[in-house]
Amino acid sequence: MNKSPPAGTFQRRIVIAAAFSVAAFALVGIRLVDVTVLHAGSERSHSADRPDFARADLLDRNGRLLARDLPVDDLYARPHTFWDKAEAAHDLSRVTGASEARLKRAFNGKREYVLVARQITPDVKDRVMSLGLPGIEFQKDAKRFYPEGRGAAQVIGETDPDGNGISGLELGLQNRLRNQDEGAAVTTSLDMRVQYILAHEAAMAKETLDVKAAGGIVLDVRTGEVLAMMSLPDYDPNGKFGEHDSRRNIMAQDTYELGSVFKIMSFALAMEDHTIGLDDWLPIGKGFKVGKWTIHDAERMPAMMTARDVLGESSNAGTAQIALRSGPVRQKQFLQHMGLLSPVKTELPETARPQYPSNWGQIQTATVGFGHGISVTPLSFATAAAAIVNGGRKITPTFLKHYGDARGEQLIKPETSDTMRGLLRYVVTNGTGKLADVPGYNVGGKTGSAEKNVNGRYVAHKLLVSFCAVFPIDKPRYLVFVLLDEPHGGKGGIMSLAGHTAAPLAGRVIARIAPILGVPKEPVLADAKENS
Amino acid sequence: MIRVVNFLCVALAGFSCLALYHVSERTRVARVELAHVNHQIAQERGLNSVLEAEWAKVADPSRIQQLATTRLGLDDSTSVQLASLEMLPRRGEDQAPLSTSPVRKANVVVPAPAPKPDPRIRLASARTGM
Repeated sequence: MNKSPPAGTFQRRIVIAAAFSVAAFALVGIRLVDVTVLHAGSERSHSADRPDFARADLLDRNGRLLARDLPVDDLYARPHTFWDKAEAAHDLSRVTGASEARLKRAFNGKREYVLVARQITPDVKDRVMSLGLPGIEFQKDAKRFYPEGRGAAQVIGETDPDGNGISGLELGLQNRLRNQDEGAAVTTSLDMRVQYILAHEAAMAKETLDVKAAGGIVLDVRTGEVLAMMSLPDYDPNGKFGEHDSRRNIMAQDTYELGSVFKIMSFALAMEDHTIGLDDWLPIGKGFKVGKWTIHDAERMPAMMTARDVLGESSNAGTAQIALRSGPVRQKQFLQHMGLLSPVKTELPETARPQYPSNWGQIQTATVGFGHGISVTPLSFATAAAAIVNGGRKITPTFLKHYGDARGEQLIKPETSDTMRGLLRYVVTNGTGKLADVPGYNVGGKTGSAEKNVNGRYVAHKLLVSFCAVFPIDKPRYLVFVLLDEPHGGKGGIMSLAGHTAAPLAGRVIARIAPILGVPKEPVLADAKENS
Repeated sequence: MIRVVNFLCVALAGFSCLALYHVSERTRVARVELAHVNHQIAQERGLNSVLEAEWAKVADPSRIQQLATTRLGLDDSTSVQLASLEMLPRRGEDQAPLSTSPVRKANVVVPAPAPKPDPRIRLASARTGM
């Protein structure tokens, strides 16, 4: 007969078993809390097969897509699995566009794993699959696609095959594009409707006037937002780079002697310092002597002109006199104050340092007064001109969408800004900018026709023409700056001047963008002449 | 009594094992289904992304303008063809009233679609540009 263990032993075993049970249930409970509460949702973030979009989308201000990573595949092959390497190379070359010679070399080499083609699209992938080749592998990748094509190519920029920005906003906004949350996008200040109109009109002008290059900017003078910026020749970021294409953004990275459009600055300085009244008379006649130099006008001018007409008719001799009343020190200080003697900083990496006289004497003051001897980027000039007309306050140009007024420091007095708006309107109604006016939108502006400096000499028939327009001039909202390099207007060069080339271009742009931008139209009689 | 309690504990443990197995199996199946759905979502999202890009390309303003010009015969309207709000007739009024704003005759030419140098222009009247 077996001897049963004592009751104390039973109790001890029961206690041990109970302790194990409690410990086991406690562990299960702790794990449950860990999985359901502490690490809730972590499983979702590890969901597989999500395409790896390295960069966020770029959008225009209205949400229109400018750049997006599209899912593509890199195609790899294991050559040792092919029955006929030459035939495989031929088939893959035919389907993907890869070099057949390169594939043959690679397939016959020692490498086990060969890259056939990068960033193949889904339809190419389907065709590769239909070949039925063994040893084919796909690796997920992303390809940057620009639906607008040439639309704003230089401004948006592009990426290299590894997804790194190499130019334009793709480079300038690199960190933002990389660090956005999944699904979020970077919204730019660009308005592709305005961009298209600017590019379309500039392209027509380029064709009609046979210019070497053309460019334009549309800037909001209150927020500093760049609504449009284009540069011709351009290029297709989705396609092959053509013989006549250019990646250069002439509006941001090239500096120009802009010529008479720069008189806006000379007059703003004169009005700010009250060195001249608008109805003061100035001798123009046969030119104005500064030291041993005589400053002439390109066309015959009256013997005497009021300051108002000096700007209206764009007299160099008159403007030189007005600039000299301020003197070299004050002129340089003013241009520095307006930001024209330092590179303009925006989200665009492309920029350029302005060139100005190292020895700023009397003759330099006179020539800088009418835009020669100083070279700035068109974007830099447009920014300074916007500050002149927006009430005199500094703006910082930006390519990111901005809400509300962004005007900063007061650069010139509001009264000076008011006077300048009146003067710019006068240029359009009574002066050289008549062809820029648009009935109902009260455009103000200034023409600029600069002879180009070729090998140290100014060449009369090689012009760089521009027009800086502001509308509506009573309460300025937008600035349009257009530039044409060497227009051929005919008629001995007269028709190549800015008043006949750049001014009507700016007018056509304003006529098309003003209704889109919701600029209130003033009543006009419908029998206005049509220019046919 | 202690035997009953022990039996219940063992039964509970056994039942827990079965329940745990059942839950873990359901979890495994759900995980497979989730991976499948995630894969589908990723594929749909990729296709959607491609479609959106394609839409942006076909809705390009230059293409729209070309279609509007060639298929519909539309052209850009000049600004004088647009009415301002002030010139619209108010409810109950027969004629379009004019507000206190002065109606100005446009003293300018309306920009045309393409610049065509006018051969008749005289040199004296061409003092513009610089």
